[in-house]
Amino acid sequence: MDSPSDEALLSRYRSGDGAAFEALYARHRQGLYRFLVSLSNKAELAEEVFQDTWLSLIRSTSEPQGRASFRTWLFQIARNRLIDHWRKHGIHNPLHDSYDEQLHGQPDDSAGPEQLLSLSRDQARLDSALQNLPEDQREVFLLRLHGELEVPQIAALTGAPLETVKSRLRYAQQKLRRLLAEEVPA
Amino acid sequence: MTDPRHTQDSNDELLIEHFRQHTSGEPPASLDAFILATARREAPTPTPSLWQRWLQACQRPRWQMAFATVAGVALMIGLVLRSPVPHEELASPASMEFSADRQAPAVAAAPPPAMPAPAPITPIAPQGELARAPASPVQSLAEKPAAKMSKPAPAALPSLEQGLMEILRLREAGESKAADEKLLALQKRFPEEDLPARLEALRKR
Repeated sequence: MDSPSDEALLSRYRSGDGAAFEALYARHRQGLYRFLVSLSNKAELAEEVFQDTWLSLIRSTSEPQGRASFRTWLFQIARNRLIDHWRKHGIHNPLHDSYDEQLHGQPDDSAGPEQLLSLSRDQARLDSALQNLPEDQREVFLLRLHGELEVPQIAALTGAPLETVKSRLRYAQQKLRRLLAEEVPA
Repeated sequence: MTDPRHTQDSNDELLIEHFRQHTSGEPPASLDAFILATARREAPTPTPSLWQRWLQACQRPRWQMAFATVAGVALMIGLVLRSPVPHEELASPASMEFSADRQAPAVAAAPPPAMPAPAPITPIAPQGELARAPASPVQSLAEKPAAKMSKPAPAALPSLEQGLMEILRLREAGESKAADEKLLALQKRFPEEDLPARLEALRKR
């Protein structure tokens, strides 16, 4: 039997089915939390925004509009909350930096599958590589990684043109490969 | 030949998968517990169905009283409409005419009644019910006076003068025994009368 969709679970919760929320939370808690930790690079801030996001969903009566999926909607709420936090505390929003991908893009000379096998598996190095990405590239990559969103959904969520999202994702992946590449023993 | 775009896409997927496999991090258990408890506490109350709302309304004392009143009024109206027309009204010609006028459309198609006095017709009783045996005591009671009315009235007893004339006729016809019996019977009816004297006077006349 197919498991119910996110939208169906949300609708059931809005009708008073408390168990539907637990199923919805179990599906998305990990991805949303990791997205916020990686994007904010602060566990405490991530936890605060994570909590605000879910409480807002609990107390709101709104639902995903149009063709937006629940996942896109959830990550959009979280992203908006994080931006609100930065704005409230006078922190410059790094996601709004204009960024010229062409200037930061470098030839990808480590694209072979055999080299992917030698990527670092060290957690600290993975985190460090992510933090080395420009903010807008990191955001797109994290939405793809933890939100499991497709490029058009990311474009809708961030309000960026589709081609811009594609190029940000491509440059982010090229840079990560380069940063994580380990020397293959001869 | 391999498609470079396809190779690039698969490499991208491998990179994403690599990160998924080697990334950890979970929300604290206390945060999970807080959010789930809030969700349970603030879950909207389920909207009851129409039937459940009806049952709930019936359980409230205020509505119970209202429903009981309505049911009582309906019962009383039903009883009033089904009670038979009083016998006196049916017996009088005026009331029969009135009843016939009121029931004319209903009985127009029915054959003329064979009974001398019509059975009481209740305003809401269907026509078919009249032909059946009385279903209720009320109806059978209502029909009894009609049955009484349909019996022929007993023949009027002859007056004293007529009785004496009959006795004289019998004596003249030579039926003395029958004449004596008549005389005895007449004497019982009129014990204070001097019947032989009156008989003699009548014979002389």
